[in-house]
Amino acid sequence: MRGNSEVRRRSRERAPSLTPAPVNGVASLLLPGLGQILARRIGRGLLILASLTSIIGLLGWRIVALAHRQPTPLAMLVRALNRRPFFIGAMLVGTVLLWLWSAWDAYQEAQPGRQGTAFIFVLILVLFFGLGWQISEIDLYKAVTELSDTWPLLSKVLWPWGAATERVTETLEAEAPIQIPCTDNPPAAPEETPGQPYLKAEPTCGELSDLDENNDVIPGTTMTLTGRNFEPNAETQIWWGDPIGGEFRIRQAGEYVTTQADDQGSFQIDVTMPYRLVPPSAEGAQMMKVMARQISETGAVRLSEPLLLSIERMVETIFLGMMATAFGIVLAIPVSFLAARNLMSGSWFSVGVYYVVRGILNIVRSIEPLIWVIIATQWVGLGPFAGIIALTVHTIAALGKLYSEAIESIDPGPIEAIQATGATGLQTIMFAVVPQMIPPFVSFSIYRWDINVRMSTVIGMVGGGGIGFLLVQYIRLLNFRAAGIAVWFIAITVAILDYVSAEIRERFV
Amino acid sequence: MLEVKNLTKIYDDGTVALRNVSFTVHDGEFLIIIGLSGSGKSTLLRCINRLIEPTEGQILWDGMDITAAESGELRKVRRQIGMIFQHFNLVKRSKVITNVIAGRLGYVSQWPSLLHRFPKGDREKALAALERLGIANQAQKRADELSGGQQQRVGIARALMQDPKIILADEPVASLDPVLAHSILGHLEMLNKEEGISILCSLHYLDLVQQYASRVIGLRAGEIVYRGTQQEIRAMTDEEFKDIYGQEAVRVGAGLGTSAGGAT
Repeated sequence: MRGNSEVRRRSRERAPSLTPAPVNGVASLLLPGLGQILARRIGRGLLILASLTSIIGLLGWRIVALAHRQPTPLAMLVRALNRRPFFIGAMLVGTVLLWLWSAWDAYQEAQPGRQGTAFIFVLILVLFFGLGWQISEIDLYKAVTELSDTWPLLSKVLWPWGAATERVTETLEAEAPIQIPCTDNPPAAPEETPGQPYLKAEPTCGELSDLDENNDVIPGTTMTLTGRNFEPNAETQIWWGDPIGGEFRIRQAGEYVTTQADDQGSFQIDVTMPYRLVPPSAEGAQMMKVMARQISETGAVRLSEPLLLSIERMVETIFLGMMATAFGIVLAIPVSFLAARNLMSGSWFSVGVYYVVRGILNIVRSIEPLIWVIIATQWVGLGPFAGIIALTVHTIAALGKLYSEAIESIDPGPIEAIQATGATGLQTIMFAVVPQMIPPFVSFSIYRWDINVRMSTVIGMVGGGGIGFLLVQYIRLLNFRAAGIAVWFIAITVAILDYVSAEIRERFV
Repeated sequence: MLEVKNLTKIYDDGTVALRNVSFTVHDGEFLIIIGLSGSGKSTLLRCINRLIEPTEGQILWDGMDITAAESGELRKVRRQIGMIFQHFNLVKRSKVITNVIAGRLGYVSQWPSLLHRFPKGDREKALAALERLGIANQAQKRADELSGGQQQRVGIARALMQDPKIILADEPVASLDPVLAHSILGHLEMLNKEEGISILCSLHYLDLVQQYASRVIGLRAGEIVYRGTQQEIRAMTDEEFKDIYGQEAVRVGAGLGTSAGGAT
């Protein structure tokens, strides 16, 4: 009763200000917050002082960042005002306003029975918000005008299923040998087999294109390619092959060289021998080849490689999450008993164990699985096993804490009742503790499985195996359709898992 | 026969819950302990089967000192002492029948029981106990699906499974409404009369005390401040009751405007 009335009195009548109110106002004008401190509102004064100091400091930093090449502070301010007139102007006005307001606030606070308003803190928050807007480079104009740039990418990711299937292709190909440079006996044109595609080059030897000292092209020998027995009216690509098996499509004037076969499947085209670096160690004449290729889709549709790989990696991901959860549960159970306060309050030793285990769990849990993956890949190398180790470690810490809290919150009544029947310790655990533990254990474990599968889609990105590994590769190859397929699989799996885990938890709890 | 001699319980934080308490429960008695909450009733009952370790004093069960019993002996004693609780203390998620059959744990061998394997007759015995308390049809339900009164009857059935010689009842009707209170105490009285099971029960409604007690002791701040026979308690007026008990004592029926227990 006495304590209560004392508290009430303290809050209603504050001790009077140390100085008369106008002095407080002037003090806050000289140093914002000082007047409030003199009026015995120390917390308010310090808060205003700290806020205004940080606002001025941050604003100064932004001005320097906007105009760091200017010689004098004034020139910097002018330049910064020119570049961001609205932001800098509004901030300067706001800061001056805050400064003056703090003086008015101190004057008010110092008078008995009067108080400054809380709006001064609203102004402080608005100023911080303005600074935050500028520091984090928020640019709504850009966000709107450049939104359309995301569409080519986003459309592929949102509906990637065009890449889910591909048609079986068949390649019709013929080649002819070319000698570089010419010697006394150039290679003969290949024999023609009836019914087989045939390519003849004329001449069969020559010089490659080269660059002079001005990087201008010196054209190589022009050869006439004659093809027969190809697919009529189909596009034909011309390829070049070097002696070590390298192949590339020949370009002329920046365009791939292609030709169209006629009604009989024949074509004739003049092609300049391409520019090709010949290694200095290559001595004498090199045997190269020119090739004509027709690639046709024969109609049969099959699942594409990205789709098959995504399915494979998704299965791997689900099992990765499952294994990590299983190991995590098994190891978290004993740990959770050591981390349960009600079980460990027996002696100073067990209390010590409790604090040590709790501390370790908190530290391990605060390190993200992504970082554990990096540690684990150092240990067992890239791949799903590293992911399992990382997720297991994190699961032990997370479940250990959840389980121990479940143990802490069990109802002691049934334990007492079972003990009173003359049951042994084990019987008591089996009949009074375990039935109470099952619902939270099942619930937390499934929840964690859910989390682990979701996590395992991400840990692949840093080498932990699973679909994330595939996803990040496709993104780096700019193959957004394939990436989109992987994203879809992740989304579908997570949605199904979410639903299933919610259902199961509902049944058990 | 249960003899409590000079029982004292001081908790680790220095609270003296019981101070030098002595009394006897003769076979077949219905002894009621009255007292405010915090007067030590629950501690006293739990000291008897050593759910709480007494600090000093002796508890003799048919001449054997329970306070000196080592764990094997203690379990043998405990299984002869049934106990029911204010909050029933059932395992809420387990089936009623499982809760009841747990009363046999002190008699069966440990390892099979951990797999929920009990000797043949125990299941029938459990059903018979539920039958006797009128809730046989609830046997397969989960304990938390039952009403409060039904749950307390499951608690009694569990105690019955122990073939107890005495039942300790810790405020068995404090969580129930007046009608159910009579029903539960009626069941205890029936066991007391028909089977000769002694009852040691804490209560705080005067009319219930007057109706069911064969003897009464009053506790205040851990000490016995009142001992009365059946006649003496039945002759007691509300004012006298409040004297020993404190101002908060009420009759069960007070709120209903009836005197359900009748002080005659």
